Amino acid sequence: MSAPVRASVPFTLDGKPASAPEGELLVHAAARHGVFIPTLCHDDKLDPYGGCRMCVVGVEGSPRPLPACATRVTEGMVVSTNSSVPQFRRTLTEMLLTEHLNPDPGGRPNELVDMAEEFQAEAPFILPDAKREPYDDRNSLMGYNPDACILCNRCVRYTQEVMQCSALSLEGRGPDARIVPTHGHSWLDTECELCGGCLGVCPTGAIYEKFEEGTERPERTLEKVKTTCTFCGVGCQIDLNVDPETKRIVKVTSDPTYVSNEGNLCVKGRFAFNFVHHPDRLTEPLVRGEDGELHEATWEHALEVAAQGLNDVKQRHGPQKIGFLASARLTMEENFAIQKLARTVVGTNSIHSCEAT
Amino acid sequence: MDVLKLMAVLAELPKDRTRLLDNLGRVRHEVGPITPELSDAVADHMNVRRGEVHEVVSFYSFLDVPTDAVRVCVGPVCDCLGARDVLAREQEQASGVPVLGVECLGHCELAPVLLRGDSIEPEAVHRTNDGPSLALGSRDATLADYERRGGLTTLRSLPENEQIIAELKASGLAGLGGAGFPTGLKWEAVAKEDGPRYVIVNADEGEPGTIKDRYVMELRPHLMLEGMLIAMSFAEASEGLIYLREEYATARTRLLAAIAELREAGLLDGRSIELVVGAGAYICGEETAMLESMEGRRGMPRLKPPFPSQVGYLGRPTLINNVETLAHIPGILSNGGEWFAGLGRNGATGVRLWSISGAVREPGCYEAPNGSTLRELIDGLAGGSTEDIGAIVPGGAASGILPPDALDVPLTRDGLREWGAGAGSAGVQVFPASYSPLRLLAETMRFFAEESCQKCTPCRIGNRGLHHVLEELGQGTVVMSRHQVEEWLDAMAQTSICGLGQGAPFPVRNAFRFWPDLFAALGEPEAAVR
Repeated sequence: MSAPVRASVPFTLDGKPASAPEGELLVHAAARHGVFIPTLCHDDKLDPYGGCRMCVVGVEGSPRPLPACATRVTEGMVVSTNSSVPQFRRTLTEMLLTEHLNPDPGGRPNELVDMAEEFQAEAPFILPDAKREPYDDRNSLMGYNPDACILCNRCVRYTQEVMQCSALSLEGRGPDARIVPTHGHSWLDTECELCGGCLGVCPTGAIYEKFEEGTERPERTLEKVKTTCTFCGVGCQIDLNVDPETKRIVKVTSDPTYVSNEGNLCVKGRFAFNFVHHPDRLTEPLVRGEDGELHEATWEHALEVAAQGLNDVKQRHGPQKIGFLASARLTMEENFAIQKLARTVVGTNSIHSCEAT
Repeated sequence: MDVLKLMAVLAELPKDRTRLLDNLGRVRHEVGPITPELSDAVADHMNVRRGEVHEVVSFYSFLDVPTDAVRVCVGPVCDCLGARDVLAREQEQASGVPVLGVECLGHCELAPVLLRGDSIEPEAVHRTNDGPSLALGSRDATLADYERRGGLTTLRSLPENEQIIAELKASGLAGLGGAGFPTGLKWEAVAKEDGPRYVIVNADEGEPGTIKDRYVMELRPHLMLEGMLIAMSFAEASEGLIYLREEYATARTRLLAAIAELREAGLLDGRSIELVVGAGAYICGEETAMLESMEGRRGMPRLKPPFPSQVGYLGRPTLINNVETLAHIPGILSNGGEWFAGLGRNGATGVRLWSISGAVREPGCYEAPNGSTLRELIDGLAGGSTEDIGAIVPGGAASGILPPDALDVPLTRDGLREWGAGAGSAGVQVFPASYSPLRLLAETMRFFAEESCQKCTPCRIGNRGLHHVLEELGQGTVVMSRHQVEEWLDAMAQTSICGLGQGAPFPVRNAFRFWPDLFAALGEPEAAVR
């Protein structure tokens, strides 16, 4: 179902007339008018949070600036994002840097470091209690370095709002507060499915891929090749991140703008790509010869052998002795073709897909 | 852990998410401190995700602490009067029982104080006066006591809502928890929203130096409850809730007894009043954090607007008032708003309770006119100072820090504005000249840092950063220039989500202004901030 169409209302943005559907988040309305408002804790997949305060803008009538990520457009609203109102971005960035001990634990992009460059912000000092207890997880896919965490809570909110699971918690209050897999357990001992969604939404790369050699290589130096995940019929859009030198896939990412999965992935889509470069991977069809060994063959020959085999069984024992098991990796159209083959060509109703279990 | 006991307790726990904090408190009392295993057990029983319960448990200071723990107050008044020595002594003498330093326990007139289990030491005595509005001089032990003094007459002959609003506006009564929002306007706003509505009493008194709500609840619980029932009638609310801080055990007992008496007297017919007990978190006194806490989540403030009068408890319009505010209302409605307004002085309206603690001879909680001066309060009510006064905090941690020069300033919004301060919760803390303002300020920032809920950057890091700057300055080291400090203060005041971060800069700016020599090493402020 599509969202109800809302009436467009006029408002003022940096002194210029603008319009947006009533109730649209200011950060989005501004972006459509070419005004980019920086955010750290905001993620379109999540409910507005308004925690990092990086996006505060002046709104006429409000005694204090309001977060553009959580404030909705109303008719006649007068919004100022430019130097006509006090700017806090540099100061807020400075604050975050005072406890940002490790800006790059795993090669992932770091939006805070980008902002520090843009706003020319530097940490005036390092907080004496900045160091957080290290976290070492025994799972082989995701790593987490608390010293890169800025407590934007995106990962925790992702687990709660999108995945509906208990993998991560915002723990404690005051300077000891931290984000950690629930109770400090290993992810493997929580409800975590290792989908890596927390990693995908983390703005500073505090959570990162750790399974493959070359993962630590800066993600921005990798070549992204957009493709469709082959693991199931959903057709998630993914980016294979290829090391330009070795031409090997180093990691898989997905962009929130991609249709059908909006940047969400499952554990297979995000982490199970090592079959691509695996030495045992079949690249040609194999047919067992008279000698009992498998031999490389053409597709034409292989299909002919398979058809012949099926035909022989049908001749000897009847079509009810043949059943079809379809792969969960097939699309709906492919599944349709399989049942057509089974019912009309072979003449059996014994068809199953492992998607059903 | 007694597993059978746990099973028995769990079986009785209600599963509604709003009961999470209560449930955890009950498990803590009857089974033991909340461990990860107990946290998961409660989560599974209530069908709430384990991670979310863990987030809640870890948010509060006391859920994972045994009920017989010793809690030593290290709030500013206690710190000034030797709390750190008490803490060290207790830790030395501890026999297997945890000893913790905690923020203000709300018994500042007894400073230095500690809680041994639920018992306060030294033994509590009430030092107060018989003011015209609340008459705390004698205690109502029973409902009969209260009725003998004219109690419940207002509730039994309530005026129309329009009349109530008119009287409240005429009285000039403004929220006495610290924010000072005009009560008449607040009630009017809630009445405009569609029902059902809730009424909530904010009894999470946690502002350092503030003891007044405890005095009201311990001495005249029925008076506050009458005010609450008036609010419930006004808002046509069938459910009323009181959010009480965990440390107030005596107030808890007396409120529960008084509620039971009212129920027996048939005054609650068709209505309920429930007590929700906190678990140790200053921020839960912020009204939206309190709502989150009551709904079974971490006490992290909501973004405003919308305000609780529009979208409050469980998404419904909610009338939230402070304990003392409600206690004034029966008197205002029976004697008239004009009467109450006329009790003020120096251009201010009404009276309020002043908690006076620190270096004074008779620390306590006294009713006195708004617009009184610090000298009148200290000399006239609290028996005068015990030694030379060095600094005065007029109304809670974020109200500012004043020098002795301010002793004759009327404590009104306008009077204090010139001094960059506010009357806040009227928790007047008097510090002797021997206690360095720098120490006071550093302790205040440490308090804010410890109590920050961690949601927003300026409060989360700003307070820790300023604490660091002040600690280092005490050692003679400058880690940030005055100019940059001003930028940080500005960001905190302007971009923090709630009053904690927004208010924290007040005492710092006051100290810069009144004790410039202490901060000279930081350099010139430079006007070019912003």
